[in-house]
Amino acid sequence: MPALALFAFAVLGPIIGTGVFSLYEWDGFGEQVAVGLDNYSRALSDRVFRTAFLNVAIYIALTLILEVLVGLILAGLITARTKGTAFFRVVFFIPVTLPIVVVAVIWGFVYNPDFGLINSLLEEVSLQSWAQIWLGNPRTALVAVSVVSGWIFSGFFMAIFYAGIRQIPTEIVEAARIDGASEFQIFRRVKVPMIRNVVLVACLLAIVGGFQGFDLFFVLTNGGPFNATEIPTTYLVKAVFRHQNVGYGSAMAVIMTLTVLGISGVFALLRRRGREERTAH
Amino acid sequence: MKTVLGSRTLFYSVMALLTAFYGLPLLWLLASTFKENREIFSTPLSLPTAIDFSSWAKAWEIGNIGRYAFNSAFVTSSSVIVILLFASLAAFGFSRFRFPGKKGLLVVFGIGLLMPLQSYFIAQNLLFEALNLKGHRWTLIIPYAAMGLPLAIYLLKVYLDSLPGDLFDAARIDGCGEIRIFTSIVVPLLRPGLATVGIFSALQAWNEFLLAFIYVTEDAHKTIPTGLVAFSSRYVTDYQLLFSALAIVVLPMIAIYALFHRQIVAGITDGSLR
Amino acid sequence: MTVGRRKVSGIGIAIVLAILVAACGEDAQETTTTAAPTTTEAAMEEVTLRVAMSSPGDVQIGVWEAVAAAFEEGNPNVTVELNFVADDIYETIGLQSLLTGNDAPDIYFEWAGARLANRYQEGFAADLSDFRENELSSLLEDGAFNGMVVDGKTVMVPGNADVTTVMWYNVDIFEEHGLAVPETWDEMLELSKTLLEAGVTPIGIGNKDLWPVGNWTSHIVSRSMGEEAYDQMLKREIPMDNPALIEALDYIVQMQEAGIVNESANAINDNDGAELFFRGEAAMHPIGSWLVSWAIEVAPDLNFDFFNLPPLDGAGVQDSIIAVSTGHVINAQSENIEVAKDFMLLFSSLEFASMMVDAGGTPLTNGAFDREDIDPRVQSLVELIQNAGAVVAPPDTGYELEVAEALYQAEAEVLAGVSTPAEAAANAEAKLG
Repeated sequence: MPALALFAFAVLGPIIGTGVFSLYEWDGFGEQVAVGLDNYSRALSDRVFRTAFLNVAIYIALTLILEVLVGLILAGLITARTKGTAFFRVVFFIPVTLPIVVVAVIWGFVYNPDFGLINSLLEEVSLQSWAQIWLGNPRTALVAVSVVSGWIFSGFFMAIFYAGIRQIPTEIVEAARIDGASEFQIFRRVKVPMIRNVVLVACLLAIVGGFQGFDLFFVLTNGGPFNATEIPTTYLVKAVFRHQNVGYGSAMAVIMTLTVLGISGVFALLRRRGREERTAH
Repeated sequence: MKTVLGSRTLFYSVMALLTAFYGLPLLWLLASTFKENREIFSTPLSLPTAIDFSSWAKAWEIGNIGRYAFNSAFVTSSSVIVILLFASLAAFGFSRFRFPGKKGLLVVFGIGLLMPLQSYFIAQNLLFEALNLKGHRWTLIIPYAAMGLPLAIYLLKVYLDSLPGDLFDAARIDGCGEIRIFTSIVVPLLRPGLATVGIFSALQAWNEFLLAFIYVTEDAHKTIPTGLVAFSSRYVTDYQLLFSALAIVVLPMIAIYALFHRQIVAGITDGSLR
Repeated sequence: MTVGRRKVSGIGIAIVLAILVAACGEDAQETTTTAAPTTTEAAMEEVTLRVAMSSPGDVQIGVWEAVAAAFEEGNPNVTVELNFVADDIYETIGLQSLLTGNDAPDIYFEWAGARLANRYQEGFAADLSDFRENELSSLLEDGAFNGMVVDGKTVMVPGNADVTTVMWYNVDIFEEHGLAVPETWDEMLELSKTLLEAGVTPIGIGNKDLWPVGNWTSHIVSRSMGEEAYDQMLKREIPMDNPALIEALDYIVQMQEAGIVNESANAINDNDGAELFFRGEAAMHPIGSWLVSWAIEVAPDLNFDFFNLPPLDGAGVQDSIIAVSTGHVINAQSENIEVAKDFMLLFSSLEFASMMVDAGGTPLTNGAFDREDIDPRVQSLVELIQNAGAVVAPPDTGYELEVAEALYQAEAEVLAGVSTPAEAAANAEAKLG
């Protein structure tokens, strides 16, 4: 089977290879020195790597709000009316279709301290004191990157939720409306519970996707200032391609992979339990 | 009646604000392409005084954007073709035949669905290096196709499983060989599934950056994401030129999206929900 | 038709070479005889000569294109392919991938010192000792090869000598505020404060990638610690959290407390930082010698000059400069080593070295600066190099990149006021483990 051959060659083999490399100290050219689990203990005691994990956790938490929650609200708004929403659906989804790198370059300008859109707008409404060096301040940089992430992906989650809400039988919504429920109540008490599974999957997508985020960070800050936006992916790319520590980078990659698989496993369990509960009722 | 009207106004003003949030960065980008560097700094929010496409022409010319776009299109379409071909064959095999190790193989591809890029790109890079696969125009097709396969196989298998088995039995009785069955029954029936998979993998390949950045350093073979990053670090303070290059890249994509938004939205959401 | 043209231009290049080399002195005979046969011999087969470098800016790209055109003219069977890569990419993964990828370059740009030694050990640097002894000896002094000899073998053809940091200043702004070039560190702080009160950003720099401030402040560190301790620290013979570094970082604290560096330093890259200087928003800009050609190109009206870091009260040589030699390596794995040598010989010739001088470069070829008409700032940069009491190697080209970046980050943290010198030094040491 050609599919298997290609997959084994380009993905499976390298997965195993990365695992093997993680047990060596190697610069990619010279001698390989077996060091057992040294790379792993180094990673666990590496302050920057731990910061990177903390940062990505914060980033994921922020994206759950800025992507998933905002996406849910957008879907709620759009389904509150039956007509005249197609335009908005199209507009909100535009960022999803652009390469992330391109979006990152654009937002790099939006955040520019001298002529960026944000600081100029603030100046326009006489709020200069709010102007910030968004990407250069360790306190704001991570949030600033997360906002861009929200700008891109909230439209994507909106589309998912929109599709989910559309599948809710109209009678249920109509019944609630006849009972005098407001649109907001319908949204909270009918629509969201009905698409609970979709929301769960969306959270998983946001979390796993967040762990793999790289492009935005690489272009906007590349981990700076002072590791304030360092995440495992940017850090391990630095380790491998800048400092030529193939072994150490591989060990970090393995740790990341295990984390992602662990989270996916937890979600699979949650889903199964949810399904069992429903069949039990 | 009045309350409805009131809430409609409220509704549309909220929507207008949101639209501004999503649209403003792009409109600002567009306006800035018509402004000299000096104006970009002194009056960043003003509308351009004249619409002049000369910086677009310049960006197109010295930025090699046409070449990057061609490379992106080439890599993307080739990857999609490989994915569709291999995945539909594999899905057909998985769905219609029993063979030893089938379950194990399915698990293997299932793992592929979950594995992040980071779990293999380091070793993949060294492997490609050793085999001299880096730096060609076609280099990226290999990882893109391989990465797209698990999801494509899974999605297509689900579609195939939903087809009634009787259909195939009937065809077989009629004397159709397996290849005939595949080409004349499976492929046409799979068309909606193939469209979803195609759109999803196309966008993945079109947008991918990290591997493109590592595997292709020669300017002539760069795709749009890496080409643009290279361009932006070379002409870094000619902001008008940079804005123009960005606009040239972004506008056609938005246009294509606007034309096919129904299919594209469906393709992306279906692709990621499985 | 084609054959005829080939012959003619082949002779043409031989004549050009002969004239050039004759102008250089006694070895003329030898050089012409070695250059000419390869020209004809190489005419047998089609050859593509790949040259890769970090982008030297449009003006110097012009020089390279001229060299390539001249070479192709003299060697019609050779196509020269010039590949210019953005510098931060080239320095990190760009060159690496080029060398290991398909179509590896035959000639590539590299920094002298630790990086070059690594290339040699990886098997990517051809031994050029004979080339240096023979063809190059009339063009380049022995001093030009500093840092280019590994294991007793010369492995690089000298290109530019780059001072990686001097303080560029806007002459008009200085005059407007009645300021003179500072002779001491305190004077420099004083004049910065004067500018600050007048509403001008004293020093503008873009430090997103850490090396711009890193190169600059590492020079300060070397002056304070002394060159030997600096060298030991970057070779990891003494730890980062040593008292001498902590003391040295105190100079950066003084700048941080005075607030004389632009606030946006962390957010913008080196080019954006230079833009602040070009537009007259910042009065000073600490960066390397490459600024001259660049400023002439993008800010032709800017009236600028430079001064070296004023003397500090430290253990180092107080008229040191921070500088690096760069040059070009011939790939040991190239199939066209002889053609590549011919190309480098042409590149090193006085004609093109002279052209490089016009493009703002500081080539090491003999006699390249013996002219009246060159930019006075380039002239004084050359004098600065010639008269320096010591040459300090920048951390990122002279030492392991990981160590260099740990130091850079410590310096940046102190400059931004997020860490005290002791904390920053401890962080750096912890990072390197």
